[in-house]
Amino acid sequence: MIKGKRGSNILTENIIFIVLNLVFLAILMAFLISRMGNAAVLEEKYAKQIAMIIDAAKPEMEIYLDMENGIKDARENGISDLGIVTIQNNVVTVKLRDKGGYSYSFFNDVDVENIYPIDNKNVRIKINKK
Amino acid sequence: MDKRGTDKLISVYWFVILFLVAAGIVYMVIVFYGAPYDVRESEANIMINQIADCFAAGGKLKNSVNYFNELNLLSECKLNFNVEDTNKWKNDQFYVGVNYYSFEKDKGVFSDILRTINLGNSLLNDNCGLEGKYTPVCVERSFYVLEGDSPRIIKIKSVVGKVEKNAQ
Repeated sequence: MIKGKRGSNILTENIIFIVLNLVFLAILMAFLISRMGNAAVLEEKYAKQIAMIIDAAKPEMEIYLDMENGIKDARENGISDLGIVTIQNNVVTVKLRDKGGYSYSFFNDVDVENIYPIDNKNVRIKINKK
Repeated sequence: MDKRGTDKLISVYWFVILFLVAAGIVYMVIVFYGAPYDVRESEANIMINQIADCFAAGGKLKNSVNYFNELNLLSECKLNFNVEDTNKWKNDQFYVGVNYYSFEKDKGVFSDILRTINLGNSLLNDNCGLEGKYTPVCVERSFYVLEGDSPRIIKIKSVVGKVEKNAQ
């Protein structure tokens, strides 16, 4: 009888030990994933990427950029499709959350049409002559 | 100490080690994702490409060396040095320097500068070569081109500031 009780105690201790380890690792993984897919990080990444694309583009080019994660975040946060990427003068702003947004300027003096998602994955960037 | 006591001690150490490893990973992730993406080198290279395309096509100068100057370079090459209104920037985050040289084929050397164009914030250019993270990024490239039958070398230097948004 006593031997059986000791055995079940050891089992319980091991289970608690394993569960605590798993909880710890799960919290760590959740933190890492949240930092990697953070809207602020994505906003900066996309804004700079779009600015570089526009800088290197020539008039009449039409470019499709994969922004799947950004579009998903923006729609979840209630940002309209036309409000995700905006261009004012020569500054591109990407907004994926209500209280946020990141702006970066480009130096190529071209006219850029409204940038909007054409599906759940890509946005269309159309460059025109100014 | 009996075996169970030893096991408990080991599990405490285990969690201490786990915590230290996790703290290290968290620190590295915060440092990595907290720092901005530095795109200035790409930006400077793209600017040089655009200016080179503006000056020459198919290895020949589109216009004579005297055609471009400080007043028309921006408009002719479709450049705009205005930047976003942030960090007290006053549209002073770019510098471009262009030098035309003639090329002595026989000696294989540059000759005198035929023409120089400096545009943008020259203070940025003065800071090229300084050590440290919070300095502008400078890129210089040159290419050969023909003006009529005369070989020329065009050296373009592009400097991008924007330190606050690219270095931390």
